[in-house]
Amino acid sequence: MNDAPPIAIRTVGLTKRYANGRQEKIALRDVTLSVPTAGFWVVSGPSGSGKTTLLGLLAGMIAPTAGEVHLNGRLITHLRDHHRALVRRNEVGMVFQEFALVTGLTVAENLFLPLVPTGGPPAATRAKAAALLERFGVTALAQTRVERLSAGERQRVGIIRALLGEPPILLLDEPTASLDSTNVERLVDLLASLRAEGRTLLATTHDQRLVNDPRVDGRLRLVDGALAG
Amino acid sequence: MKRHLALIRFALGSSRRRAGRTVSLGVALALVTFGFAAVLFLTEALRREFHLGAQGLPDLTVQRLVAGRPALIGEDWTQAIAGIAGVTRVEPRVWGYYFVPALAGNFTVVGVEADSLPDAAERELVVGEGRFFAADAPDEVVMGEALADYLGLSVGDAIELPVGRGRKRLEIVGLFRASVALWTADVLLMSTAGARAFLQVPTGSATDVAVRLSTPDEATVAARKIADLLPDARILDRQLMNRGYDLTFDTRGGILGAMLLPALVAFLVLAWDRLTGVGPGERREIGALKAMGWQTSDVLLARLWENLVLSFQGALVGLIAAYLYVFHAHAPGLADVLLGWSSLYPALQLAPAVTGGQLLALTCLVVLPFVALSLVPAWRAATLDPLGLLRGAT
Ligand SMILES: Nc1ncnc2c1ncn2[C@@H]1O[C@H](COP(=O)(O)OP(=O)(O)OP(=O)(O)O)[C@@H](O)[C@H]1O
Ligand SMILES: [Mg+2]
Repeated sequence: MNDAPPIAIRTVGLTKRYANGRQEKIALRDVTLSVPTAGFWVVSGPSGSGKTTLLGLLAGMIAPTAGEVHLNGRLITHLRDHHRALVRRNEVGMVFQEFALVTGLTVAENLFLPLVPTGGPPAATRAKAAALLERFGVTALAQTRVERLSAGERQRVGIIRALLGEPPILLLDEPTASLDSTNVERLVDLLASLRAEGRTLLATTHDQRLVNDPRVDGRLRLVDGALAG
Repeated sequence: MKRHLALIRFALGSSRRRAGRTVSLGVALALVTFGFAAVLFLTEALRREFHLGAQGLPDLTVQRLVAGRPALIGEDWTQAIAGIAGVTRVEPRVWGYYFVPALAGNFTVVGVEADSLPDAAERELVVGEGRFFAADAPDEVVMGEALADYLGLSVGDAIELPVGRGRKRLEIVGLFRASVALWTADVLLMSTAGARAFLQVPTGSATDVAVRLSTPDEATVAARKIADLLPDARILDRQLMNRGYDLTFDTRGGILGAMLLPALVAFLVLAWDRLTGVGPGERREIGALKAMGWQTSDVLLARLWENLVLSFQGALVGLIAAYLYVFHAHAPGLADVLLGWSSLYPALQLAPAVTGGQLLALTCLVVLPFVALSLVPAWRAATLDPLGLLRGAT
């Protein structure tokens, strides 16, 4: 197995339990998976099955109750807050189910928000943002405040923001939920080209258009917090 | 550096986005600063005014008390005091209060000896309108402008006032300058001869004795000698009086300051409420920023800048408003509390007398607790998991 591809995302016995007052909720149980570098994988599953929780753990946005997450061979589970922020900035990009845009700011300001602590966007990033806005048909909205956008427009802004950071690993939580077929097609084309650049993609979805796309390399299914099949 | 500039720009944008919060905190901050600054400005200005005025006082002032009440001083006293070592000059003075039923108040009548009249330049400083009285004209007086206004008099007018069984005519030849108003508000200044007639003080007697010493620092020693010589003398020491003024103003200023503390506390409570009411929107924002890779320190730094700018602006507005209130509007309301004076007294013309250090201390007193307070809720939110914040966890 010498020529097995390197692994970008690996989890071992990943478990997340939410304590909700006296009630406990096991959102993820004992999930062990591997996504190879430059793979395009999707995770499907009913609502509440733990998809968002899984992505949150992979991106270092929540801490697991048990188990480990390795990104590009590095264990990130026990990193301190400071280093987990660095992982989020440099290693994984995430598109959020609810977009995580900052209201009151324009589309352009939201796109460059991740770069504020580094002193603002360099010219190359601006050019790239313009190209992506163009590609998703939202150029005209660049100076519009995000709270005025439709759900589909917001979703595209969230996607563009994640892409701008050029992360080696891209996690997308229901990226097509608010998109029409044209934009689904654009997104999948774009994701395929990113994969061709060697980036690793993991998307959660309910969307059969995405699950059944022939360019998807691997399909996982979560049921009640556990991998099925 | 670039990082800070970008964070400052973001912070300024944030204060604009949260305009309601920004404005209410800014106004509250300005009000609290205004309160403290107004008290500080007024006490310092009054303190300076008194010290300036007190410079003209004699080193020692000797009065005579008989059965606890001030009594006239005879020539025997004057001679006895002049004989004490270290005394360079003894000046019997004639002054007193004159009750005016129509005013339900007193004039202070002050007599000035012909041989100790101020020189022309000094008169110019004291008298605003008109001229100083002449040494040999016992009818001529100089009075305070407010008092003259109150009585409906101006320079050149004459009044007759009852004295004993008869009446005495006074001609107003000049009005004091507003800059000496604190000292002269109720004063009628005239020659000693005029004051004697007016107050019915016989020739050879005096109300008190002003004493100048060769070494003013030895006032206590000289006072002791006078007290030994003249047991029913009451002796006022200028240096002690200065200290007394300071004490009075520090105490009154302190009391007002203490009365303002509840305002400061109320402000801090409001601030705390407004700031800890980091609403769901703001928590989600912090969650989003952290999710994008902002460090906790980046979030806090942006918050620090936002609140530093807000609080300095608020404090500056408060300081400027207090300055205008005290030095242009003459502190209506506050001056009465601080001085305990009747409304007959004129508007104070105060010269600004505050040091940069005091301004800085005042600003810090208001700004620092606010800024420190404001970081706590942001810090609490910023240390939570970004995903939980995005989902609205508390
Ligand atoms: N902070 C939390 N506290 C308690 N329970 C939580 C919390 N976050 C998620 N859960 C629960 O964990 C389970 C998994 O949630 P998760 O959001 O991962 O599901 P999902 O598969 O993404 O669902 P959907 O498809 O609706 O987005 C759900 O039952 C949810 O109620
Ligand atoms: Mg979800």
